[in-house]
Amino acid sequence: MKPVASPWAWLALLATAVFSIGCTLHPRTAAWRERAASGSILQVVLGEGRRLFANHFFVRADVYFHSGYYPSIFDQAQKPAPTAISGTHERSQDHAQEHERQMAFLGPPRDWIERFGRHFRVTEHTHLAHGEEREMMPWLRLSAELDPQRVETYTVAAYWLRTRLGKVAEARDFLREGLRNNPDSYEILFELGRLYFENDHDVVRARNLWELALRRWSEREGRKQPGEQDLFSLEQIAVRLARLEETEGNLARAIQLLELARRASPAPAALDAQIAELRAKLSETSTPR
Amino acid sequence: MTNVIEIRELRVEYPGRNRSEPPRVAVDGLSLSVRPGEVFGFLGPNGAGKTTTMNVLLGFVNATGGEAFLFGVNVREPIARQRIGYLPELTYYYRFLTAEELLRFYARIFGIPRAETDRRIDALLKLVELESVRRRPIKTYSKGMQQRVGLAQALINNPDLLILDEPTSGLDPLGRMKVREIIQRLKQEGKTVFFSSHELGEVETVCDRVAIISQGRVREEGRVSDLVAKYRCDLERVFLKVIGYEPPSGN
Amino acid sequence: MNRVLAIAGVVIRELYRRKDFYVLFVLTALITLLLGAVNFFNDPKIVRYLKEVCLLLIWISAVVIAVTTTARQIPSEKENRTIFPLLAKPVTRWEVILGKFAGCWLAAGIALLVFYLFFAVISESRGGEGTPAPKAAAATQVAPGPQAHDDHAHEPGCCNHAPASPNPWLVYLQGAWLHWMMLAVVIAMVLFGSLIFAAPSSNATIMFIVIGGILLLGEHLNKVALRQTEPVQTILQILYFAIPHLEWFDLRDFIIYDHPPVAFGPCALATAYAAAYALLLLVAAWLVFRRKGLTT
Ligand SMILES: Nc1ncnc2c1ncn2[C@@H]1O[C@H](COP(=O)(O)OP(=O)(O)OP(=O)(O)O)[C@@H](O)[C@H]1O
Ligand SMILES: [Mg+2]
Repeated sequence: MKPVASPWAWLALLATAVFSIGCTLHPRTAAWRERAASGSILQVVLGEGRRLFANHFFVRADVYFHSGYYPSIFDQAQKPAPTAISGTHERSQDHAQEHERQMAFLGPPRDWIERFGRHFRVTEHTHLAHGEEREMMPWLRLSAELDPQRVETYTVAAYWLRTRLGKVAEARDFLREGLRNNPDSYEILFELGRLYFENDHDVVRARNLWELALRRWSEREGRKQPGEQDLFSLEQIAVRLARLEETEGNLARAIQLLELARRASPAPAALDAQIAELRAKLSETSTPR
Repeated sequence: MTNVIEIRELRVEYPGRNRSEPPRVAVDGLSLSVRPGEVFGFLGPNGAGKTTTMNVLLGFVNATGGEAFLFGVNVREPIARQRIGYLPELTYYYRFLTAEELLRFYARIFGIPRAETDRRIDALLKLVELESVRRRPIKTYSKGMQQRVGLAQALINNPDLLILDEPTSGLDPLGRMKVREIIQRLKQEGKTVFFSSHELGEVETVCDRVAIISQGRVREEGRVSDLVAKYRCDLERVFLKVIGYEPPSGN
Repeated sequence: MNRVLAIAGVVIRELYRRKDFYVLFVLTALITLLLGAVNFFNDPKIVRYLKEVCLLLIWISAVVIAVTTTARQIPSEKENRTIFPLLAKPVTRWEVILGKFAGCWLAAGIALLVFYLFFAVISESRGGEGTPAPKAAAATQVAPGPQAHDDHAHEPGCCNHAPASPNPWLVYLQGAWLHWMMLAVVIAMVLFGSLIFAAPSSNATIMFIVIGGILLLGEHLNKVALRQTEPVQTILQILYFAIPHLEWFDLRDFIIYDHPPVAFGPCALATAYAAAYALLLLVAAWLVFRRKGLTT
């Protein structure tokens, strides 16, 4: 009898092995080797494709966040960006509704096959909670390994780590790693500042980081056309820093920052009120003397 | 009494490899009958159509024309094969099984009860002298050993008719003698044996009747002694004459 | 029936005397265990990625085992001529087809059992107490932490948290069962293919493509069809309704994300669907095989 099966078995195995070894070895080698070394083996092997994979794994984390309830490329003409897990920063009710709308991709079944098939797929829109968010982490780690220049991966992972999983130290290490790979990222600086401020209550460090973030922002974004600037981040950084300065009593700096935020904000009215309030406070404290 | 094998005007054509090639006629109007209790030798040169005829008897190949019956049942019916044992030429049995497992498998196909199966397997393996290797996978057997496994499987259902396609090929002289002995013993038990062979010496010793075919037709048929008397020479010469071989005149 | 089981027995023996199955199992186990040893942010409770990779490997292995085993059955019987002594016995060709099917299917079932047991052990040993059911009861609202103001926006009411499965073993069992039912269709399909395509390797290749295609695209063909122009659209629609929808039998998402099991009714219906398709393909195989001349 000829071993007909073997070539096929081996081929299939090879395919899985490549994938799995990719999954397996990479995070490990990452620990072994010095980060300073120029590019890992996997990066060299995969070349530009690694960005694609990194994105795939990032989306995978979002799929996990939704416990498998996720549109395929066939479900929608345009796939939603994996906004849910990136929704780490302030998000309004509008965003929640927008997200709900985007995720209502199933619609009524078109035929009996589709109707019956719904029994065997996840059809409920849910989000991970109660520490189950940890399940997203391997994919984010992998995504960061494949594309260390993808800043979002670090900020998102760090957010979940410190706020839901109680892993502040791990979040800090991961953000530091991100910062090493992206020294001029104001996003990571901002997130790291939040970690110091919210989790460590280390006002000095938070302030330094946020000030640095602002500087990085103007270095990187300041040169761009007004329409292309990342104003959302600018507003966030400025508002946070303003709050910090306010509680620390540096009202003048706070006002300055809020004015900066106001210029970046799509809805400056709310900030106007705050600025006015701070101005009043400032004059209150300064006039008696 | 019905004939054990009855073949009437059998014709078998193999389709050509492609459209333009005409079909190849392997058996061409062959008629034959084998009576109960006979040992029947089926002779013919290579490519004469012996295996093809047997394949029709066993239902592997569909006849283009004519009919064939086993125990009076048309060979198209699977039930016709309940009482026969068959030894194919050149077969590699399930090589991952042991001889014992192989025989047990075939016994199950025949629906032989377990105790009876054990008894028969012991007896058959003793008969073909494979007792010592009964628990070894068949892939470790030599060619002659495999042939003997084949003989054992042909006998597992204690058949009334044995169809053997070149049973002695690949066997050593001792093995051939054993096969001859087995055939003779079966004859004594009243079984019918229909076998093809190129060993005319052994055919002469064991067969009651023979048929010599060539190019899909029966050229000569009869009792061995009658044929020898008719042509006044031994069976080998008879065979050569019948198939039209003229010895060089110098001889 | 006894004859069918006898033939099936030989197939099962063959599979477990070859190395394929063990190689695939050891590889799956090895890869899973290796992956399990990876440390992600010092959280030993992380388990779903492991479940996903393990299940993926199980699915690939099972399809590889089923397809390669089945594809070589009848061709190797012919090549080694074992079909001749077999058919010289009083078996019908339908019994041979059925026996080969039963053998491959049962062998695949045993393989699945081993694979899923391994999977269950791995996933329970890992995340066992990480996702207890009672927690889900208190899922109405997350206690606002110090950073409540920027807590995730989807928390308030708009959607639920994934309910933890009350009994993961039930889902595992269901997943393995439907997986096995799917393999029945796959095996019947390959058996049919092995009577049509001469070489087992070409049969296996075609079947891998067909099965992979159905699993990945089968459920989307109707949506794809809508975006096509006329002749293509109708062809895709016909294809959509004609193919066996193997993707239904894939409960991996339910297992990975601890969803509650599928209701009994749809499960039974899907089982019947698989049985009907398998039977259809087996009858088709028999029709091809029935009058086929077997030449030496
Ligand atoms: N599968 C086939 N396709 C086409 N032709 C075939 C096939 N099998 C046999 N033949 C032809 O049919 C004829 C009879 O072949 P068969 O095998 O019956 O001969 P045989 O008498 O058994 O010969 P041998 O003594 O060599 O075994 C030969 O001419 C052979 O070429
Ligand atoms: Mg022959």
